[in-house]
Amino acid sequence: MASAPRLEIRDLWFDYEADTPVLRGVSLTIEPGEFVAVIGQNGSGKTTLVKHFNGLLRPHRGQVLLDHEDILHHSVGALARRVGYVFQNPDHQIFGATTHEEIAFGPVNFDLPEDEVEARTVDALESFRLTEYADVQPAMLGFGLRRKVSIAAVYAMQTPILILDEPTTGLDWKSTSELMQLIGELNRQGRTIILITHDMRVVAEYVPRCMVIRKGEVLIHDSTREVFRQAELLESTHIQVPQISQLGRRMVTLGLQDGILTVPEFCDAYNDLMSGT
Amino acid sequence: MPVVVDLYLHRQSWFHRADPRVKLLFVAASLVLLLVFKNIFIMLAALILLHLLHLSAHMPGEKFLFIWRTLLPVGIVMTVLWTLFYPTGNPILEFWVIKITPYAMVEGAVLGLRIMAMAFVVFAWLYSTDQPSLVRSLVKLKVPYEWGLVLALALRYIPTFQGMYEIISDAQQARGLDYSDATGYKRVRAMMPIFIAMIISSLRASDQLAKSLESRAFGAHGIRRTYIHDIHYRAADYFYTIILLLVVAVAIYMRIAYNFGIHPIRLL
Repeated sequence: MASAPRLEIRDLWFDYEADTPVLRGVSLTIEPGEFVAVIGQNGSGKTTLVKHFNGLLRPHRGQVLLDHEDILHHSVGALARRVGYVFQNPDHQIFGATTHEEIAFGPVNFDLPEDEVEARTVDALESFRLTEYADVQPAMLGFGLRRKVSIAAVYAMQTPILILDEPTTGLDWKSTSELMQLIGELNRQGRTIILITHDMRVVAEYVPRCMVIRKGEVLIHDSTREVFRQAELLESTHIQVPQISQLGRRMVTLGLQDGILTVPEFCDAYNDLMSGT
Repeated sequence: MPVVVDLYLHRQSWFHRADPRVKLLFVAASLVLLLVFKNIFIMLAALILLHLLHLSAHMPGEKFLFIWRTLLPVGIVMTVLWTLFYPTGNPILEFWVIKITPYAMVEGAVLGLRIMAMAFVVFAWLYSTDQPSLVRSLVKLKVPYEWGLVLALALRYIPTFQGMYEIISDAQQARGLDYSDATGYKRVRAMMPIFIAMIISSLRASDQLAKSLESRAFGAHGIRRTYIHDIHYRAADYFYTIILLLVVAVAIYMRIAYNFGIHPIRLL
């Protein structure tokens, strides 16, 4: 896998209907290897924004740069080598006669040698625990498994940037946890991960950085801890931080350490508070 | 992104206010009249009247242009083909096996104008009738409600499926599918991942819709459904109906009794 490129957006404007801009002059930089959650209320422009990262949408004004190169003249198919995109609904991509074929589709499109395609497909099947379903028609699988197949199919493309649009919707916590650990591992291998989600618990537990979108603008782009500290700002976008973070915030006046994200962090901070350290 | 294929234009006009059944009768009567006559002057008069109808129904100029742009090539092709392949009378030009006669040219022009006029009739109906009214008119005319609903759902799902096609196409391109350079059979083959995903998604959507309708008591046995909205004939609608029927009756009588309008150029 090539090292992740730097993704830069400069003054991006976009609208679906004239005079109602969905994105209003967005500028941001996602560094190579960054793991960032894109959050914001429905209709804030999250999906519209990330669809510019692989050329699915083209800006009406502004630039999208991968390693300082404007992607304007690159096709989506060509950009797919560098930017993988998992769609919100797995049924929008599943068509293969078998799960194996479905996962191999991306690598085949890259014109890779047969043994390389096979190696990537087997790796994806194993990583997502889908080996037993390799010869099954993926459209006939349950929703959770179809979701896994759709992610495994993009995973097999081994793109240095991976975008996932609400990948945990409809998954139970165990599947969510397994998936997020796997995504975390991909990030540790050097891939840039961009995750759209409404699940703040997922963000708090697994995603180190956060970008809040409000009405087509980037409100804040910082570490998750720093973003979750800005309770008033988040409220304006109707985002509620996890309850453990809310509880932690209320106990700051009692001396508890600020910026709690998870239950283990809360327990440690509470222990510290009780023991007076 | 919403995709709008509904042709209805909300306007305040006598034609919009007319009962949708009157408009259905208007379509049927106009099509019969256009098919009964073969005279170029009648076709031209019909086209002018239809333009006046569109104007009185406050249709915007861009809609006129849309109909002309869409149908004019078809009209021209029909005129030319008829002129080339159905020669009648003395030719004014002859080359190889092709004979051009003035009579065939006028006949061809009548066909072309007829297509245009028919298009204006159908568009007048679709521009002025929203989908619920369209379905209600059919149900009122004793078409079973289920059939009406099927039509309403089919119309309702056109933009949904169009949107679905765009998303699926995006999803497959994002996995490296590139069919931009392919043509013909190769292009169709390359697009198979889109078509198959479309079929699977459509089947899933229709199954879910059927279950959701059923779970809201649609088609429950032994229960007569009621309707929130109903349509009623007003005095004006009776007037329009009588006028339409009279025009059709007189026109057909003239056609049969006096051979009115069957010659491409002469009226009688």
